[in-house]
Amino acid sequence: MDPIIVDPVDLTPLAQALVYGLAAIGPALGIGYLVGKAIESMARQPETAGMLRTTMFLGIAFVEALALFGFVLAFII
Amino acid sequence: MSILAVQAEPGEFPEIRLDDLFEFPAILFDGTVFAFNRMGLLYLLAAGITIALMLGAFLNAKVVPGRFQSAMEAIVELIRNNIVLEVIGPKGLRYVPLLGSMFLFILVGNLFGITPFINMPANGRMAMPAFLAIVTWTVFIAAGIRAHGLRYFKNALIPSGVPLPILFLLVPIELVSTFVVRPLTLAVRLFANMMAGHILLAVAFLATNAFLIDVNAGFTDAHFFVNGALSVMGILTLLGSVALIGFELLVSVLQAYIFTILTAVYIASSVEEAH
Amino acid sequence: MDPIIVAVEDAGGAYGVILPAPGELLWGAVAFTIVFVILSKLAFPALGRVLDDRAAAIQGKMEEADAKLVEAEEARRSYEASVADARGEANRIIEDAKVTAEQLRADILTRAEAEATSMLERAQADISAERDRALQELRTQVGALSVELASRIVERELDTATHQTLVDEYIQQLSSQN
Repeated sequence: MDPIIVDPVDLTPLAQALVYGLAAIGPALGIGYLVGKAIESMARQPETAGMLRTTMFLGIAFVEALALFGFVLAFII
Repeated sequence: MSILAVQAEPGEFPEIRLDDLFEFPAILFDGTVFAFNRMGLLYLLAAGITIALMLGAFLNAKVVPGRFQSAMEAIVELIRNNIVLEVIGPKGLRYVPLLGSMFLFILVGNLFGITPFINMPANGRMAMPAFLAIVTWTVFIAAGIRAHGLRYFKNALIPSGVPLPILFLLVPIELVSTFVVRPLTLAVRLFANMMAGHILLAVAFLATNAFLIDVNAGFTDAHFFVNGALSVMGILTLLGSVALIGFELLVSVLQAYIFTILTAVYIASSVEEAH
Repeated sequence: MDPIIVAVEDAGGAYGVILPAPGELLWGAVAFTIVFVILSKLAFPALGRVLDDRAAAIQGKMEEADAKLVEAEEARRSYEASVADARGEANRIIEDAKVTAEQLRADILTRAEAEATSMLERAQADISAERDRALQELRTQVGALSVELASRIVERELDTATHQTLVDEYIQQLSSQN
């Protein structure tokens, strides 16, 4: 019986897209929530806006790190 | 006939590879670590423009500033008041030159991405962001050691008031997040944003070129409606590319600002007292 | 149809995008170092100097304005003082004038009264002198007339009635004369 010859399909691009897409979901929600809360707090207490902005950027940097790992991973795959 | 280096058969869509967008053969010193390519040229150009802007504004600075000097002063005031004083405080004023140089250099390099005839952000390759992140890493560790001596590492790694067993878990996390993740994300954030922007612009420009010229040429006779539809698509991508240029302008400024303010935040977290 | 962008298939290429190229890293380092050194040695000190100059200029201007303000205040005060002086002077002059006028009035009054008194006295003296003179004259005339009357009486030899009539007639004549 002849073996079935399957045309090999390179799924790497799909994997890359999925890796980055999935990695971006969590940070996207996290950053949205974080910035929203920060703005809420700034509106409530405008005099603490400077400190809040600093903390907000620090938090964004932490959360965004995950998405950036996904970005790097997408290229490394 | 395509005006681009990316060639496609008439009627075919061009296939763009990352290599085509981000591969720059060396101009000088090929094969050595001094390999000087188009990116090196852009770095030197960005450096020249940054220096020219600052020296042009401030070398013959007047007490009553003109428009240009006022604009440059506004940028430096932004760094000084909104970044350094607000984040680090008065003791961070010695970092104003560093952060100012970073901000302007990154901004000029980013704007190369939408400058006609250059069309390549200087930070769209990993080298420049990586080097700037190394600078930030060095500076915030040095600032911490300068402020607290070797106690800085203890402050940074061991949060006070945490029971011993949890420290086994926390210390590695702190170590990785402070000394590895910080510079890595700093570099990748800038690089990824600029690279993504470059890819978006390239796709929009090449799609416009393809829809209006290359693919159109594949349907020469008796395909009036196909040609018309392709032209409409081409015009849409053209408008999209114009909008994308505006978006890239925003991203350029934003990323320069974020890189600078995060550097300031990291320095501040090193300098401030342990709690 | 091919995707518009496909990632580079060989592993080296993928790492090539993520990892910095040594040459670019080197030239980037050179470029940023140049920027940092030149800006921190030239541009930022120059900016600091011009900001100091501006602060000094603004400070100087403000001090100048303050000095001007003090000066103006002093000028106003001296002006007010001089106005007050002038007003006092004027009041004094008016008072003086009033006093002088009062004195003058009193003088004039006194002198007028004195004059009036002296005039009155002189008039009274005149009147009394006149009266004396008239009396004197009357006495003389009465004498002369008496002599004349007596001579007439003597001449005519009159009785008492006639005598009386004559005297009455004469007195009548005198009073109608006078």
